[in-house]
Amino acid sequence: MKQEILVKVEHMNKRFGSTVALKDVSIEVCSGRVLGLIGENGSGKSTVTSIIAGMQNADSGTMTYHDKEWKPGSMLYSLEHGIGMIVQETGTVPGITVAENIFLGETKFFKSFGEKHKWGPVKRKLLNQKAQEALDAIGASHIRAEQMTANLDLQERKLIEIARIMNKHPEVLVVDETTTALSQKGREIIYNIMEQMKKENKAVVFISHDLEEIMEKCDALTVLRDGNIIVTFDKSEFDEDKIKSSMIGRQLEGDYYRSDYDGSCEDEVVLEMKDVNLTGKLIDFNLQLHKGEILGIGGLSHCGMHTLGKVMFGNKKPESGEIRIKGKKLKNEADAMKHMVGYVAKDRDTESLCLNASIKDNIAVGGLDQFTTGGFLIFPWNEKKYVQKQVETLSIKCAGINQYVSALSGGNKQKVVFGKWIGRGSDVLILDCPTRGVDIGVKQAMYQLMYQMKKEGKSIVIISEELTELIGMSDRLMIMKDGKIMHEFPRSESLSEADAIQYMI
Amino acid sequence: MKTKNLRKNVMLLAPLFGLVALLVAFFIIGTSKNINVAYGMKSIINQSVVVAVVATGAIFIYTLGSFDISLGASVAVSALVGGIVYNKTESLVIMFAACLGVAVFIGLFNSVLASIFNLPVFVTTIAMLSVLNALVLVLIKMNGTGSEIRVPMMAVSKLNTTQFKIFVLAAFFLVCLLVFSFTKVGRMQKFQGGNPICAKLSGISVKKMSIIAFIMSGIGVGLGACLSIVYAPTLTRNTASSVGMDVIIAIVFGGMPVSGGARSKIYAAVIGAFSMTLLSQIMVMFNLNSGIGQMVKAAIFILVVFLATSDQRGKMLPR
Repeated sequence: MKQEILVKVEHMNKRFGSTVALKDVSIEVCSGRVLGLIGENGSGKSTVTSIIAGMQNADSGTMTYHDKEWKPGSMLYSLEHGIGMIVQETGTVPGITVAENIFLGETKFFKSFGEKHKWGPVKRKLLNQKAQEALDAIGASHIRAEQMTANLDLQERKLIEIARIMNKHPEVLVVDETTTALSQKGREIIYNIMEQMKKENKAVVFISHDLEEIMEKCDALTVLRDGNIIVTFDKSEFDEDKIKSSMIGRQLEGDYYRSDYDGSCEDEVVLEMKDVNLTGKLIDFNLQLHKGEILGIGGLSHCGMHTLGKVMFGNKKPESGEIRIKGKKLKNEADAMKHMVGYVAKDRDTESLCLNASIKDNIAVGGLDQFTTGGFLIFPWNEKKYVQKQVETLSIKCAGINQYVSALSGGNKQKVVFGKWIGRGSDVLILDCPTRGVDIGVKQAMYQLMYQMKKEGKSIVIISEELTELIGMSDRLMIMKDGKIMHEFPRSESLSEADAIQYMI
Repeated sequence: MKTKNLRKNVMLLAPLFGLVALLVAFFIIGTSKNINVAYGMKSIINQSVVVAVVATGAIFIYTLGSFDISLGASVAVSALVGGIVYNKTESLVIMFAACLGVAVFIGLFNSVLASIFNLPVFVTTIAMLSVLNALVLVLIKMNGTGSEIRVPMMAVSKLNTTQFKIFVLAAFFLVCLLVFSFTKVGRMQKFQGGNPICAKLSGISVKKMSIIAFIMSGIGVGLGACLSIVYAPTLTRNTASSVGMDVIIAIVFGGMPVSGGARSKIYAAVIGAFSMTLLSQIMVMFNLNSGIGQMVKAAIFILVVFLATSDQRGKMLPR
């Protein structure tokens, strides 16, 4: 099949205030190929693709699509003309049905008296039928078109977005850091779409922090750093170490995961679950977390592990059974915090952060009992000092502590969440997908931090769909399926992903 | 960056600039039309202070992203009960305590009702508005002349001074400022208004915060009721009838975001209340009748909300 340049970006520049997001960036997106974009959080990957997809404008530079000048006014315009983008964060409206989300802004086409009639009822049956067809086409038949979107989890909401975009049959598809929100099944859906697009001589721009995944799926890989294009590798030149060092501009020092295979911890039980039941999620669940232990929980997305994290933190009440923290029965989230338990949710933007608030507000809210005088009075200088310390310890890249969290990159947002819990000196940390959407440098820093905390006698539960990080970090790995623990692995050098997968499916 | 910061600061101070501009306009127009501006100013304080006090307390509810439509009716009921209590006891202290007690009770009832039935707070306040309006009529019928409840003018005349009213407003504002900006309750309220899901997962009790907000609002309503009695001791079904709507307009006028959250400002209520009354007075100076005045107010209300949210509507998140 003849390859042609579909999208050409030349000398593009973009600034956000004093931050240079893109500096003289030039990229070519060719038909029949998957182009990977990789770089640290804030390197400019999402900025360049979001400009191509019409989400925002560049400050300078030119773009062409099929050799014609390309200046999309909006994402809708872009999608209508052949360029679609699956965004990093949630892009669905919760209070409406799946079908209405798939045909958002297009329900006029389903009007009983024809699309020209502004008024009149929507043919709901037809709308649902067409939406279901769109879902079926991408292999997401388990989602029903008539369901309310708010009742679906992060992965399912992501699949709705994918169905919405693929229903328009784009010629160029941008997949921005989407796979980290998906389970293996969800990832397979994306991979199939990418493969199909390649076969149809269309183009895909694929952004991911998963190096293994990006090396497997892409035909070429462009590395960005601090808004600059560093290098473009062709498939034949892919080399993990070279890619890593060009991403971060230096060799990664120290261990990525922990290097020891000593899975020992203290005998003291800090968190215990006894015969916990929650319909459809957890069945007769028993677990003990010890002081100084890193406990990994793995499984497929719907195995109940994400609910487990919420139950452990007192956010979801089990129907029977009990959870004890340091011997005391857990009542709710505030009680968990009183016992120095922290919880990092999977859905960062909805559950772990208040996006429309500053870094200071987000970090300080976790430590209100740490820096207040008399338990309730706040002196601004104490609060500032407390927050500043977390920002420095975690090297959060920001313009200042009053910067709004919504303006931060994914990795820095996650650091803010960590700062909220680490700052208050949590003894037990429950981390649900802690490295989702986080670049390799930040990931390494987080792994090192977890290991450091273990050595300090803190206990950590890592819930993750990435088996490599679970195997790399856990003292003990539990694999869940259908709300039950299927198998438990002690830390071992010989433990492989294949060993764990057989208990997951 | 500098331009952006300047714009941000200007937007932040816009309500204050607006108040100053209205104040200057009032003096210039008043002087040019030979109106006694000193008397006019006293009248503005009398009119503004009840709305300012009630709105300052209500900021706590608005910060949570909630809405209370029954505030005016709460002021009326609290004032009527206060009047009845004074007539029975002839004690101003007990009258003030009754006003505060009733107002806080109504607030608590609203918030507890909302938590029991797991309803948005504004829904229960709509129901409460009907109940309170009916209660106003019942109280007047049972305890007054049938059309009014009268507290002897002599009993409250000593308190009917600008200094007393300003003192009550300043004291309450300072307490609210302290709670709002310098205690963990204030921080939690703003955080909950910004993202209630994340607030719950940060150990913040949504119900507790809602109850505290309604208590603070109740205190404001109670003080507003006391000031209403002091200003106009003859209480009728029209007592504080416009306060409910004026509070909403004042809060928005003062630059409070309608969605609550981290950008909430405690001073918005005071600035908004005085700006609104000044605007009304300026319109009176131009002989615009109250109907036209209301329409102008409504138009400005829409304009302020439009301008206040324009930043978010056009905003592209840096990625």
